[in-house]
Amino acid sequence: MSKAGQQAWQHVPHHHRGPQQQTGGDEHIYSPKLHNGTFKSQGIATFMGAPYCPPDRHAIRQMGAKVCFIGVPWDQGQVVRAGTSQGAAGIREASTQYFPYMFEYDVDLLTFFNVVDCGDIPIVPGNNIKSHDYIYQYLTECLHGGAKVVLCGGDHSVPIPGARALSDFHKSGKIGYLHVDCHLDAAPDWAGNAFTNCSGPSRALDLPNCSARNMAHMGSRNGLNPKDWHDFFIDNDVRVIPMYDVVDRGVVECTKEIFQRAWDGTDGIYFSWDTDSIDASCMPGTTAPECFGLKGREIIQLARTAGTFGADIMEVSELCPQFDVSHISIKTAALMIYHFLGSRAKTLRDRGETP
Amino acid sequence: MNPAKSYAHLFSPLGGEGGENYRAPGQLTFLRAQHVPLETKALKESGARFAFVGVPFDEGNVGKPGSEDGPREFRIASQEYLSYWFEFGVDLNGLAVDCGDVPMPKVNPDSARERIYRAITTVLAAGVTPIVVGGDRSISIQCARALSDYLGPKKKFGYLHFGAHLDLAESWAGERLLSTCALARITELPNLAAANVAHIGARNSMNPKDYIDLAKERNLRFYPMFEVFERGAGSVTREAVDSVWNGTDAQYLSFNFNVMDASAAPGVTATEPGGLESREMIQIADIIGAKKSVSLIDVTELAPVYDVSGTTSRLAVCTVLRLMAAMAKARGELVDPKLRRSDLEAAE
Repeated sequence: MSKAGQQAWQHVPHHHRGPQQQTGGDEHIYSPKLHNGTFKSQGIATFMGAPYCPPDRHAIRQMGAKVCFIGVPWDQGQVVRAGTSQGAAGIREASTQYFPYMFEYDVDLLTFFNVVDCGDIPIVPGNNIKSHDYIYQYLTECLHGGAKVVLCGGDHSVPIPGARALSDFHKSGKIGYLHVDCHLDAAPDWAGNAFTNCSGPSRALDLPNCSARNMAHMGSRNGLNPKDWHDFFIDNDVRVIPMYDVVDRGVVECTKEIFQRAWDGTDGIYFSWDTDSIDASCMPGTTAPECFGLKGREIIQLARTAGTFGADIMEVSELCPQFDVSHISIKTAALMIYHFLGSRAKTLRDRGETP
Repeated sequence: MNPAKSYAHLFSPLGGEGGENYRAPGQLTFLRAQHVPLETKALKESGARFAFVGVPFDEGNVGKPGSEDGPREFRIASQEYLSYWFEFGVDLNGLAVDCGDVPMPKVNPDSARERIYRAITTVLAAGVTPIVVGGDRSISIQCARALSDYLGPKKKFGYLHFGAHLDLAESWAGERLLSTCALARITELPNLAAANVAHIGARNSMNPKDYIDLAKERNLRFYPMFEVFERGAGSVTREAVDSVWNGTDAQYLSFNFNVMDASAAPGVTATEPGGLESREMIQIADIIGAKKSVSLIDVTELAPVYDVSGTTSRLAVCTVLRLMAAMAKARGELVDPKLRRSDLEAAE
């Protein structure tokens, strides 16, 4: 173990058991010595090769985990096409092609954050309300376990229970809410249903401790944005930075603006990042691929900038590996998280802080 | 117009016997070039400046397989281009020959590596620049060794690599000649100084800590993508080219196409987000081409099985042809600007 005082969290690679076991302390950040390691010879696929931890507040505390990865195989809360239930599995698969070490930030993400994989949240087919309740409960456990959460959807209805969990976690304080997406997702309801993937920001504003001044949307474009969605932002004075402005001003400046807004006087923030904010050429494996989105380097710059601010819950949603091409989308989604965490780690370390 | 020379291939087809459909090759060769056997004497006699050599070898990869189909798809994609490049006003016809693929034994990587080494040595000995298309990145180790031995101890060479990964493993799972060890082995060659090595495009976390440690230990200059974002591809490339060409007798130009953004190059073994865009690669080819010549070019890790509509192979071909065209222009080898299609019709 590279960090003292945290006996409970231990990284034992899932892949290196048996006669050729290879479990030295920091070996996971170096080229393999004994065999090809996780490349091709996979064991149990967890995010980043992190140890499994039950989604239970006591277990998380006991392990000293500061980042919980948790998947939500829920794709029946959306109105477009199914497939996002495989999103978390796609990210776990993509993470087997990467080391937990990131040279850009000179950090080992695994041991810096004591990352754990809490598996997937169970869902109830055909029952959006019950599934959302389960999402709420599992995220509540992670937050009370003292960890930040990396949540992988699932469709874009998951921020509804997600932001509710964060709101209750900070019930005596205030929260911020960020929505980076091609779509404004601000329907009061969709054909009478208030809890679909069309209503993330609308439901966030309903929360008692989430003010419009701590909310923002970035990346909106194209013609799957009905007028009532746009009116929501105008009428409630919620900041919108459409894709045109991101192109004009640059993604770093725009990302700083929305994160400053979300963190202004709040105790925690929810950062919802829909994969369709990304250009279709870089993210074919999403529910609704859209042109004129963020391109490769802008995604990484967004993640890096976001990491300097941090978030209680960082959610990547609408990832559909079944529509992917050559692992482009799943690797990009994994790197959205890796660069966010890498930048977060560097920011904390530079300030002399721990997660 | 020189009546002894044929100019028909510079223009839209005139019709009649042969040459009507540029996409119907007889023999499938790189840019419809003449096939020349892989022998020093034959290569010398061909008068070619470049020799295409396919190396269908992917037993040096640690991740996804598929790069052994690279040379085949590269040749096919080259059929989509003509030899005339209007931006440069040059004709590539006759500049290159195709030596076919180096025959690869299966399940015998040691023998395969020796064959690659011998093939490249044969081409270099003819005074011809090999254009080597892999195959996985490990083939660069053998190409560099061939160049180093060909030059001998009194001459120096420079090495410029474009790729997402530094490939600086001292060893990987106990092996020392895999693609992940490529730059580690190449920078051990006696006539390559660290000051003449440059690597452009490193990013993301398939770069374990020992890569970075070795880069520092050996004083290797690498330009990560973060630096390319800040400074621009042109500025970084110009600086890298200056150091690679500074005081060297020969230069090795090496492209792993995972240097490209995943959206621009899905057909590689390890797609990597956040890389170069195609217009940047074209700019890079122009900058390097201004140097008039290189001693060895390799293109590795193309994996057509993952490609989409052949776009990645086509980008790789386009990059190499633009390099050739920019070099021809820099050498002043321009097509007579007065030449017109009607001159051919009149001559008939």
